Amino acid sequence: MLVPILGLINAYWFALPLILAISLVYAASRHEAWIRILRHAARLFVMITGVLALATAILLLINTQV
Amino acid sequence: MDRSTTASDIPLKNRSIAALLAATWPGVGHLYQGRYRKGMLYLICIFGLYAVGFALGDGANVYWSWTNPLRDPEHFRLYYLGQFWVGLPAWPALLQATLVHFGHEPLFNGFMTAPLLDPSMDDNVREVMEGVVRRAFSLHQKYGGLKEIGDIYTTIAGLLNVLAIYDAFEGPAYRDEPAPDAHHRSSESNNGETPA
Repeated sequence: MLVPILGLINAYWFALPLILAISLVYAASRHEAWIRILRHAARLFVMITGVLALATAILLLINTQV
Repeated sequence: MDRSTTASDIPLKNRSIAALLAATWPGVGHLYQGRYRKGMLYLICIFGLYAVGFALGDGANVYWSWTNPLRDPEHFRLYYLGQFWVGLPAWPALLQATLVHFGHEPLFNGFMTAPLLDPSMDDNVREVMEGVVRRAFSLHQKYGGLKEIGDIYTTIAGLLNVLAIYDAFEGPAYRDEPAPDAHHRSSESNNGETPA
């Protein structure tokens, strides 16, 4: 029921909720204060997304050159 | 100092029970400890991730089979080693695998059963298992990529719950840091002191 609708979404978008969950859970396991959890999670989210985007860009660049 | 609390007075209650509860269902250990907001965060993030992953695989991507990985690596379900740690939502797969392993018919029409056929299976077991294999195959044909994303979601959810279990048992990694409001209170009290 849910699967056909989700099948229309590009697979890359599924990385975002995954990164968000990883960032929040990891940050929550490090800190107890809510504000620190959110700050750490936001930093981690940006860092992971950035690294993935950079890696994708480099791979795409290489792919277009071969 | 009470063994059940940490230096920063985070009430961990009985840490072993909390860890066991966290292993049984994501976030429940923290709810038991009274760390409600954190418990809800783990519940939403970990169980939510698992539930979405499970739905993406149409319920056919969480299963286990009692297979020796050295003898039959192709049928060894590596993903389940991560999925297992989500707790109760993933454990029916163990029961189903054990039933099939000992030649019994799996429950609930093969729900969470490995899509594997064995020539030595009884006719009634084989009939159910053929249905399971058909379902898994048609799912892969229609939404192959989504099933794999579901595998990743459910596995990562299990691995994240390991962090939550550890947090329920040991408290957060950075315990000695002052909470922002505690720090605020202590600086207020320092300002109020008269110098000697």
